[in-house]
Amino acid sequence: MPRKSRQVETRMTAEYLLKEYSKFQSITACPLGRVDEALMATAGYQKALGLSRPYRPEADAIVVLPNYLLLIESKVWNVVNGLAKLPLYKSLVPVTPELQKFMPREVLLELVVGWTNSNLEIMARDAGVRIKVYSPPWLQEVVRGMHDYWTSDYQRERQRVLEARKTLGLE
Amino acid sequence: MPLGNYVILKPDTGERMHFVEHRIEPRTVTDNVTLRPKAVNVLVLSVDRLNGQAVAAQFSTMSETLYAKLEAYLAGNLYRNYEFIITQRGTGFQTRYTVEAIPLVTR
Repeated sequence: MPRKSRQVETRMTAEYLLKEYSKFQSITACPLGRVDEALMATAGYQKALGLSRPYRPEADAIVVLPNYLLLIESKVWNVVNGLAKLPLYKSLVPVTPELQKFMPREVLLELVVGWTNSNLEIMARDAGVRIKVYSPPWLQEVVRGMHDYWTSDYQRERQRVLEARKTLGLE
Repeated sequence: MPLGNYVILKPDTGERMHFVEHRIEPRTVTDNVTLRPKAVNVLVLSVDRLNGQAVAAQFSTMSETLYAKLEAYLAGNLYRNYEFIITQRGTGFQTRYTVEAIPLVTR
């Protein structure tokens, strides 16, 4: 059954940037990493950017602060993945052609989450990542749904829906 | 060759725009997979400055991803306080948008 995409983490990132860093330049879905120079020479800069796309990860957002570049990942699901990515992404910042105009700047790391827990905080501290919780009402609803997913009440309701769909010939 | 009335994104090339008005417009388009008409909502933004030049143009998008990136700026027409560089990357279902928001007044 088709489900309309909610774009949860994209919306979360945009709102968070506007709430916390509205006075600063920001870039969302910023590609990171080098673009092969030989490719740029043969195909041209724009074409080389396109061809390099599969090999360049994207940061959810970068904020240009006066002395720093702030690298942001926003996560509601798989929060540890977001945390793990940030130090690796940091290594790509100095070789990213799109960011050269902002260098030299030090890089700060921030993980924006809809919810947190003490183990995440411990890992983040060790990885040099700042955790920020952004949880407006619409996101609290998403987080609640995510946590309820594993409860017996949710599983019973899900089973009921699946059986109804089968009975109605929708499966 | 398109007239200057509409801003059309080219892959991997950013367009720097300043928006002054917006609206959500229902339109009927032909689905390029099924070739059948379908009703969609389009975010239409009026552009008064494009890459540093004064213009009277429109930029529109059906992309939910791009809408999600701009939605926060629609309330209270906050986009008037920024210039946006929007870059389309890839095509079809793989299309991504890099959006750079540049405040017009920086501290």
